[in-house]
Formats: sequence, C-alpha cells, structure tokens
Amino acid sequence: MSTILSDELLSELMAVGQLDVLVGLPTLNHADSVGPVVRAAHVAFNRELARERTALLNMDGGSTDGTPDIVRNASIVDRETLLASQSLRTRHRISAPYHGVPGKAAALRAVFAAADLLQARAVVVLDPEIASVTPESVAALARPALAGDADFVSPAYARHPLDGPLVTQVVRPLFRAAYGLALAEPLSGEFGCSGRFAARCLEQPTWESEDLRLAIDLWISGMATGDGLRVAEAALGPRRLTPRQRPAVAALVPQVLDALFTCLRLQETGWAAGSRAIALARSASPPPPPDPPANVDMAGYATLFREGLSALGGMLERVLRPATLEALRAAGAADRPLHVPDELWAAVMLELAAAHRHATISRDHLVRAAVPLYLGRVAWFAAELAGLEPRDADERLEALCLHFERSRGDLVALWTAPLR
Amino acid sequence: MSDDLWYKDAIFYELHVKAYSDANGDGMGDFPGLVTRLDHLKDLGVDCIWLLPMYPSPFRDDGYDIADYCAVHPQYGTLDDFRSFLKAAHDRGLRVITELVLNHTSDQHPWFKEARSSRDNPKRDYYVWSDSDDRYRGVRIIFRDTELSNWAWDPVSKAYYWHRFFSHQPDLNYDNPAVREEIWQVMRFWLELGVDGFRVDAVPYLVEREGTSCENLPETHAVVRELRRRMDAEFPGRMLLAEANMWPEDVRPYFGDADGFHMAFHFPLMPRMFMALRLEDRKPLVEIVERTPEIPASCQWGLFLRNHDELTLEMVTDAERDYMYEEYARDPVARINLGIRRRLAPLLEGDRRRIELMNALLLSLPGSPVLYYGDEIGMGDNVYLGDRNGVRTPMQWTGGWNSGFSAADPERLYQPLISNPVYGYQAVNVENQRRQQNSLFSWTKRLIQVRRSTRVLGRGTIEFLKPANHRVLVYVRSLDSEKILVVNNLAGTAQAVELDLHAFAGAIPIEMFGGSLFPRIRERPYVLTLGPYDFYWFKLRWL
Repeated sequence: MSTILSDELLSELMAVGQLDVLVGLPTLNHADSVGPVVRAAHVAFNRELARERTALLNMDGGSTDGTPDIVRNASIVDRETLLASQSLRTRHRISAPYHGVPGKAAALRAVFAAADLLQARAVVVLDPEIASVTPESVAALARPALAGDADFVSPAYARHPLDGPLVTQVVRPLFRAAYGLALAEPLSGEFGCSGRFAARCLEQPTWESEDLRLAIDLWISGMATGDGLRVAEAALGPRRLTPRQRPAVAALVPQVLDALFTCLRLQETGWAAGSRAIALARSASPPPPPDPPANVDMAGYATLFREGLSALGGMLERVLRPATLEALRAAGAADRPLHVPDELWAAVMLELAAAHRHATISRDHLVRAAVPLYLGRVAWFAAELAGLEPRDADERLEALCLHFERSRGDLVALWTAPLR
Repeated sequence: MSDDLWYKDAIFYELHVKAYSDANGDGMGDFPGLVTRLDHLKDLGVDCIWLLPMYPSPFRDDGYDIADYCAVHPQYGTLDDFRSFLKAAHDRGLRVITELVLNHTSDQHPWFKEARSSRDNPKRDYYVWSDSDDRYRGVRIIFRDTELSNWAWDPVSKAYYWHRFFSHQPDLNYDNPAVREEIWQVMRFWLELGVDGFRVDAVPYLVEREGTSCENLPETHAVVRELRRRMDAEFPGRMLLAEANMWPEDVRPYFGDADGFHMAFHFPLMPRMFMALRLEDRKPLVEIVERTPEIPASCQWGLFLRNHDELTLEMVTDAERDYMYEEYARDPVARINLGIRRRLAPLLEGDRRRIELMNALLLSLPGSPVLYYGDEIGMGDNVYLGDRNGVRTPMQWTGGWNSGFSAADPERLYQPLISNPVYGYQAVNVENQRRQQNSLFSWTKRLIQVRRSTRVLGRGTIEFLKPANHRVLVYVRSLDSEKILVVNNLAGTAQAVELDLHAFAGAIPIEMFGGSLFPRIRERPYVLTLGPYDFYWFKLRWL
C-alpha cells in the first residue's frame, strides 16, 4: 500500500512529537548549496525560536551527491554563533527520501503530512538554492503563523526593478489579475504557513496530478487565496542564489509560463470566483533595492522579438486576437523604436493563458512562441526604466499590475470561452 | 446556529434553576443568578442547557407537578427574567431546551381544579376519570415506594382519576383533541420565546387502552408525530428529546421515520456502563449497544451517567439489579424506587481514574452526552434529604459563604449544602478547580474540547473489536472516511491487549489528547498496554 510517509520516517516523527515549527527542506542534489540553509535553520531554532519546539525535515528526491549527509551533519563552525545559539531543547533534524512521483510536489506533500501529524503550528519551507537565507529570515517566515496572525507568509525580496523580469513582467501581474491577491513573489520556493494551511493543502486531490509537478510553487501561493485565509508578506532583504548552472532564458521562459498557465488551470474553480483571502501588511518595509543586474541586451532582445514575430506569425494568429497581433506587429515595426506598452502586454498574456487553457495549439509550442514576445516586452520595459529613480520604477511595476488587475474580467471571459 | 442537526454534535448540560445560583438572596436559585453563571458553561464547553422544570408548581415532585405551563415560578424570577436569560445564553452560542411535562399536571393546575369541580365541567375530559379503580388492571406502578395504585379517589367529584406517577399528578387525557391543542399552544408559547427544544418527560404513558400495559401505545406515537409535525412547520431546527425509560427496541418507534422525536435517552446503557466497570468486563456494555436498533440518520441517542433522578435500574434483569445494589448501594438508604440516589463521584468512591474513564465512555459512545450539573467538579450528595433531593443540592461555586451560591442565611437555603470534609463545598468547588490545571473541571473541559474537535463521535457508526482480554473495551467510530479507535481499560490493574486491526492496516494512530503518534498499524496484531482505567482515543490517519 502506498503511503506518503515511510515507516522509517514515521518512527522518527514519533520521537519528535508535537511541534511548534516544522522547517521543510526539499532537496535533490543540492550538496553545493544546502549547508548554509541548514545552518541558518539550526541557528534560528536555537536563537530566534529558542523556546519553541522545532524540527527540520529534509525530504530528498534521491540525491547522488551526498545531500542528505550534509543535511544531517551540517554544523555551526563559527564559535561566536555557536556560543550564542546553545540549544534549550532537543532539536530534531531528519533527512528522509520521499515516495511517489519524483519532484518537489511529493516532497512538499510529505512535509505537510508530517506537519499535520505533528500538529505543527507553523511550517517554513526553505529553498536549498537560496544562499541569502538567514536565521532571521527563517524566523520571519515562521512568526506570523506561530502567533496565529497569518496562514500563509510569502517572502518579499528587495529586488531592483529589472531583477527577475519573469516575475515582475509575467508572474506577479498575471497572478494578481487571476487571484486578486498582490503577492510580490508568487513563484517563491520559500514560504511560511500555518498548520491549518498545511492541512488544507494536504487534503487537496491535486497531489495525484502530474501537472502539479510543474506548478507546485505557484499552486501553493494560489492555495493561499482560499476562503478566509490570512496572507502576510515578510520582507527578507535581497535574494541571492547559490551560483550554479541555470537554464538559459529561452528555456526558462517556457518553463515558467507553462507552470503559471498550468496552475491557473488546476485552480480555475477557485480563482475564477475571486480571492477570498485576507491580505495583511508586509512585516517590514523593504530595504533600498540592490544594484541593478547586468544590463539587458535591449537591441538583441528587440531583434529576437521582431524575428520571432515574423517567423511565428502563423502560430500566433491562432492564439491571439487579430487586434492584439496587429498591435504587436505595429509595436515591432522596423522603422520605429520597439513599443510594447502595459495594455498590449496584458492582452498578450491573457490571450496566451486562455489559449493554453483551451489547448488551441500544442501547449509546448505555445509557451515557446511566447519567448520572443517576452523578450520584446523586457527590452521595451528596460528602456522605459532608463534614468528613472528606483521609487518611480517601482511605481511603474505597480501600474503594470493594476493594469492586469483591471483586465480580470477579460481573463475570466477568455478563460471560459475560447477565441475561436 | 444554522445546522438543523446541531443536537447530534451537542454536549448537553442539565441543571436546576433553583440549584444553580441565587441572585436575590432568598435561598433559591433564579434566572438572574443563572445568567451570571453562563460564562462557566461557555468555558466548560457545553453546547446546550437543559433546564429542569421552572414553572409555577407546588413543588411536590421537584417541579414536575406543573400548575401553570406558560409562566415561570416566581421564586425563579419573571418571564422577562427568562427572556433575558435566553438572550444571554444565545449571545454566548449556548442553546436552551426546557422541560415539557406532557403526561400530567399538578392537581393544583387550574385545568384540574375545574375538571374536578363538577362532572359537567368543560375541562372534565382533560383528565382520565373512572367510577371504579378496576380499569387498566395490571398496569405497573412506577413509584411503588409511595403509590399503591394508578387510580386516586377524588372526594370532590367522587370519582377516580388516573395517575402514573404521584397521586397529586393527574394524567392528561390525550384522547381529547382539546388537550392536544392546549399542549401545542404551550409548546408554541415557549418556541416563540426562542427555546431550542424540549426534553419531553414521561412520554410512554400519554394514552391508555384496556388490556394493554398502557405504555408505548400506537396512539401515543401518533400524539408525538402530531406535535412534531406542527413544530417543524412553524419552528424548523428545534428539537424534541424523549424521556422513555424503556428497552431500545421499545424506544425505537419514538423516532418514527424521523417524524417523531429527534432524540431519546438510552436508559439501559447507563447502568451497564457502571456494571461493566465494576465487573471489569465489557460484556454488559457491548451487549446492550449491539442490541440497540438502528435509528434514522437525523436522530440521536441521549447518553448520560447521572441525572436529577435516581440511577434507574428499571431496564436491567433481577440478577443485574441485585448486583448493582450490592456493589453501588450497599447502604439501603441509597436505594429509592428501582434505583440508587447517588451522584457520580460518590458512586465511584471519588476515584478520579474511574470518573475520568466513565466520562470518556460517555463522550465516545454513539450519542450526545448529557452532563449533570456539579458532576464536572465531582460534587457529592446527601442521601438523607429524602426522595431524590440528595442529588439536587446547591451548586458549589466557591469555598466561601454558602459556596457562593446564595447570600441568604444558610438556614434559608432551599436545601442544605454538601458540607462533609470529602465532598463539601470547601473542598469541592468551581473556584478551586478553575485554578488547578489537573482538577476534574479542567480535565472535563479538555475532554469536551477533544470531543468537539471531531464530528465522528457525535455522528459516526460504532463497531466493536473483541480482543481476547475481556477487560479491555475497544470500538471504532466511523464517519465517512474518518475513523476513531477507542480503547478502554475497564480494570483497576494494568492490562496488555492484542488488537486485530488488519482492517486498518497502513493507518497511523494519533492519540487525540496529546497528539502523540503511535506506530503504523500493520496486518499483524497491534499490542497496546494500558494503566488502570486508562483509555485512548486514536484518530486514524492514512499518510
């Protein structure tokens, strides 16, 4: 009989008993990055959450690089930190393989099951690739749920407006249009939540869906928009990833779009009715944004946009409204500077999302066809931001989100009925 | 408060207005006093208050001899006081049911006074009259310690009148449509005020027929159905709870096809719980539950350990009754009618572990539990007060003046307080127990919290497991896919038990009071050990 928790894990959980905070850490070959994350959690347990009953649960997807050993053995080497973080209680650290379909979703399901069994008041899920995690950020994700003030705590990073354009230009605004909840990082792999939220996620039938593997991070954020849940944001400062080989933009954009559109499909009965969550204030004001990332290759992106538009015209005709396609073509006219304003970008994203929903063309082709459009939008937006103060740039991002939010009715209509 | 089946999840709390709290210092509890104690009930976690009779009455049967159905006894307050109480209870999310004594009135009721005034009086047929006392021969006498016959001679109208209880409580004549209408108007009066239902007293005896036991007759069921139909039509969501001290198969028709009572007390279960505990053997309890017929899905059994009456031994065999008397009422003064006039704590010799186990059984067997006031702190009794008054003494709130019940002089109290060193109010009171985490009050509160954390215990089915060790009582309560495994050690010694739980293989038992995880259930026997009178409630999770 298949179970979420193995007998070996269950016997370790029996030793843990009831908990206040469970920190979940899904991993797969993260030997190069997981050590500092475990140490941050450990120090958080001993220093920030000294009186709480805590445990760290690493669900590993079958690492071959020794990740579980590093999780079990990661220790605090710095003497001062060591002295300042002597443990008041027994701190459990468990590393176990997870069962079922491979992927982060199965790992999170096991974390939620463990949290539910142990009646954890708060759950924090950490991303093993985020090098900027600190004991304070672990505690910041746990505390609102621990205090009973929030059911879901999403991180808010201090980003430069041009840092992470996939989030700022696509995920954040479309999530807001659909779910009606203004989250800075709906795609984040780290979050905090209440035991109630974990239990609510756990009882969803979606876990068995193959699609969830793609969309798990967004799906969790989408779950937070459920009936009567209280959602908070924790300002965590700049986000820094462990340096490692990452997919190129041409591979990353289709992956994220597929995840986003799939998530909308998985939760369509929920978001179409509108968010019923209660949004709470951010836990602290974000610090000043860090330095801008490497310059966007505006000219190169513009070229890719024009070439893509020309090459994929036939395919785009089947997924976009004629007026939208016409506007895109005008935006990319060779004799003028590139111009992809918010209104046009919102129409493009909404129509792509709906086409994905109705599988108007192959979903794989669709998300690939979106790459040049995305690059064109980023190039135009980067040009727009040139010379703006960070605060003004942030206002531009907010204006984009508001534009998407106002298009919600159109999204619902397109979602319900295909264009053709 | 929108769920019409609220009574299936509810925990009831039975109390006497006179015994609870006295606001005006006349020595008798009243509605203004009761209002000041509602927070105690809210804190305890109960859902519904069952008020014992609070009507004008000569008090010859603790208020069950009603002289006016549509008023409040002046010593308890006014109708406005009742309204204020009801509002205060509802404001706290507490429901209220009141007593409805259908079978009889007091002989001081104006209807009876008129009826006996002349044979031609229009109210004459409100009661059951006869020129001789030989009708309905063979019908049993219920209060056989005090009554010699079910007929009493009325010297005024020179005829016999029928009474199943005391002779000062003439039975109403339900063959008379005017009586049925009068009683509906009484119900309507209280329902309009906002009460959430009625505990209906002495139901089986409403109608008499020659050659029968005059109990549980089809005509009686018809009366019930008529009242239910009228109540549902005008006041949906209200509830009728039957007092029918009968075998389960005889009570079953009172539920009808969900068109009779919503609830009925399960009388035979109660003595068997005490019997099983003393025998250290699950047999009597399992037998009576397995003998209990199915009831409609919207209906519910009412379960209790103790109430305002004696621990009734009507629904047991002679051998069982002898055993119960021998074990629980060796002193004959504790016996009355066919039962034992003791409260829970003295019955169990003040043994905290047994009290806890019995309450745990009460809250985990199928039905809605009814707690009796004072039992949440383990109050004692006074068998020397006559009748069943020994279990109706003032509530013990504090260790101070009159236990905080009344500011009157102690001599003026309606009944003396319990004042012995073991159960006296100085030792056993709410104030002390609220301050102690390990008190019976705190423990009972926690038990109620756990019970309320699931609907399975209120609405689920029951299936007994029968391990070889007969001292251990095991059952599984199920509601849809939710399952709760209950394991009780009825013995005063530690026990080990091997359970065949293969039907639940793969499940993880989670102990519901502490949340501790137990090893996953497999095909092989599951071994548990239990201390004396220990019990476990396990939620089974498949993860």
